[in-house]
Amino acid sequence: MFGKSTVTKAQEYSESIINTIREPLITLDQDLRVVTVSRSFYEVFKVNPKETVGQLIYDLGNKQWDIPKLRELLETILPQETTFENYEVEHDFATIGKRIMLLNARQIQRALGKERIILLAIEDITERREIEAGLEKTRKELEVIKKSADEASEFAESIINTVREPLISLNQDLRVVTVSRSFYEVFKVKPEETVGQLIFDLGNKQWDIPKLRELLETILPQKTTFDNYEVEHDFTTIGRRIMLLNARQIQRASGKERIILLAIEDITERREIENGLEKTRKELEATKIAEDDAREYAESMINTVREPLLVLDQSLRVVTASRSFYGVFKVNPKETVGQLIYDLGNKQWDIPQLRELLETILPRKATFDNYEVKHDFATIGRRIMLLNARQIQRALGKERIILLAIEDITERKEIEGGLVKAHVELEELAAELGRTARVKSEFLANMSHELRTPLNSINGFSEVLYDETFGPLNEKQKKYVNNVLTSGKHLLQLINQILDMAKVEAGKMKLSLSPLPMKGLLNEIALLVADMAARKRLEMLIDIAEDLPDIEADELRVKEIIYNLLSNAVKFTPEGGRIGMSAKRTGPEIEVVVWDTGVGIAPENMVKIFEGFFRVDTPYSRLTEGTGLGLPLARKMVELHGGKLDVESEGLDKGTTIRFTLPIRNGEGD
Amino acid sequence: MGEKALVIDDNDNNLTLERDLLEVAGFEVFTAENATSGIALARKELPDIIIMDMRLPDMRGSEAAKMLLQYEETRGIPIVFVTASVLAEGIEEIKTIPNAAFVSKPINTRTFASEIRQFIK
Repeated sequence: MFGKSTVTKAQEYSESIINTIREPLITLDQDLRVVTVSRSFYEVFKVNPKETVGQLIYDLGNKQWDIPKLRELLETILPQETTFENYEVEHDFATIGKRIMLLNARQIQRALGKERIILLAIEDITERREIEAGLEKTRKELEVIKKSADEASEFAESIINTVREPLISLNQDLRVVTVSRSFYEVFKVKPEETVGQLIFDLGNKQWDIPKLRELLETILPQKTTFDNYEVEHDFTTIGRRIMLLNARQIQRASGKERIILLAIEDITERREIENGLEKTRKELEATKIAEDDAREYAESMINTVREPLLVLDQSLRVVTASRSFYGVFKVNPKETVGQLIYDLGNKQWDIPQLRELLETILPRKATFDNYEVKHDFATIGRRIMLLNARQIQRALGKERIILLAIEDITERKEIEGGLVKAHVELEELAAELGRTARVKSEFLANMSHELRTPLNSINGFSEVLYDETFGPLNEKQKKYVNNVLTSGKHLLQLINQILDMAKVEAGKMKLSLSPLPMKGLLNEIALLVADMAARKRLEMLIDIAEDLPDIEADELRVKEIIYNLLSNAVKFTPEGGRIGMSAKRTGPEIEVVVWDTGVGIAPENMVKIFEGFFRVDTPYSRLTEGTGLGLPLARKMVELHGGKLDVESEGLDKGTTIRFTLPIRNGEGD
Repeated sequence: MGEKALVIDDNDNNLTLERDLLEVAGFEVFTAENATSGIALARKELPDIIIMDMRLPDMRGSEAAKMLLQYEETRGIPIVFVTASVLAEGIEEIKTIPNAAFVSKPINTRTFASEIRQFIK
């Protein structure tokens, strides 16, 4: 209470109290208007000073304080009693809802003057009331529990001796009250050395376990119960064990004493089993993961390769088969996976050689490579399969799997066989060709001899007749005998050229090299042709370089070449056209060009003209005039000398240019 | 009479043609159809030149030539082979024989006799 002398101090003090205490506090004047309000009041009732100070208490916060009971207290009781205590007011406040408020009030004289102020403490006891009600309820429930606990206790003691789990009940001092039969059995102790003993002293203090002490002395008094505490301890009688401890602290039915019921379960084996199980489970999981990974990997691989692939387990049953396996052997997964390999597709894989490989070789060698198995498969017929196998350890675990790659090499073998056969045939053919070439050149040599002999008579006699050596012929006789002679000479030329071609092709053509004065030789042949050209009224242009050197060559052959080319030019050029020949030195060679303005050569015939017997029937030449061998032979002869011969023509009726080279010094022969 | 020529050929027509051409050119011509009779005739008539085919029914022309070389009287007689075979072997064969030459068949009727005459020393 406040003294009169210390008004200011008291006021300050009161205000400081007001602001310090957590309980909402309000001071009213005589008219019941608010003078001061504690900070907590504002907080609890969610109002602010402006709408509070100076207001009639009943008007505060939307008149939520206009409570009949409060009016009664402030207007009736307080003026009489100057104080009231612990008035409970239950009211539905607008701001904070239904609440139970405990009101305490003091009416006090102000230091100076007659004025009185009212100190009103408002305590929200809603929660306290709830807790109290809860406590009461709990107490009642507790009583029920106690009764049931007593019953349970009795029941418990009766079952203590029946349960297999060692059970021990201790009094508050942790001395043994009751022990289950199984306890004695498990811990190999006797009742006389157990009952009445401190638990920690039991069996040579083997129960003096720090953890148990902690449980019984610290945790249990606080919690009245503990569950599944694992204690690993080296017991003197039974060795290292893991015990699972469960305890209940219960009120004894008869009095205030509490007893502790301690169930001890030896979970050593269980733990071992559990650990084993967990380990197994983890291994299994790892295996499964590894297996899943590996399988996924393997399966993706298996399905990627084009080669049929089988994965077998140890018992030779199919684990997986590649897509290509199904494709090649025309089987489906349903009739394949899980089957013994030998049973696949109507036992078509029951091949003695495969059995040997899988059952005998593979276990020993863990691998086999490129075994060829020839077998008549039900679905695909007789095939040659190339087998490759690997026996591999599964990621985790002892299991082995067998990877079997099956490659159908039937076609490859056929091709190989075909190749070998073809090779042999080719060799035979080459030998045959060699023989044939020899026979051919021998035949041609013989033939030419045999043909020349009668031709010798034909040409010789017709020439003698034509020359009228033994007497004159009339005009017709002379003309006819000339026809015989012309045909005979053509036939002779044909025979000679065929023979030359045969000799070149047989590699038997020998050149007899000698120094050739080319300028003279070319002019000489040009003169021979000039007569022919003149008869067709062809203009012939000869352009031989002054410095054209002599060359080393076969005179007869070179003459043949030039004569052939020039006579061709005459033959294939229409009357009034032009032909020509030019020659010059080009480095180590001479180049001779024979050209004409004649029929030319169609592009499609550019190759044919060198194949032999190819002749163009033109209005300017008769078929009988040529052999078709002149140009091919000319090229052969040029090449035999180490030169080159090429034909140029812009097409039909565009003329032809033949260009050939001959080396000045011939490397061949001496 | 002019020079004596012996022609040995198993082909009647060729034999006739060559004999005619040589006779027209003034040769006294003896003929034989095989090597054996040809050699005998050569030893008997001692011709200035012997013209023979490379292929004769009883032996090769080169063999007949070697036999002629064995006889003193025929050793120096030049031999001209008329051959249709232009294979190198034939020519090589002729080259090994002294006093031997060749003209190719078919013969040039206009030059044959003068060619033969060239080989007579």
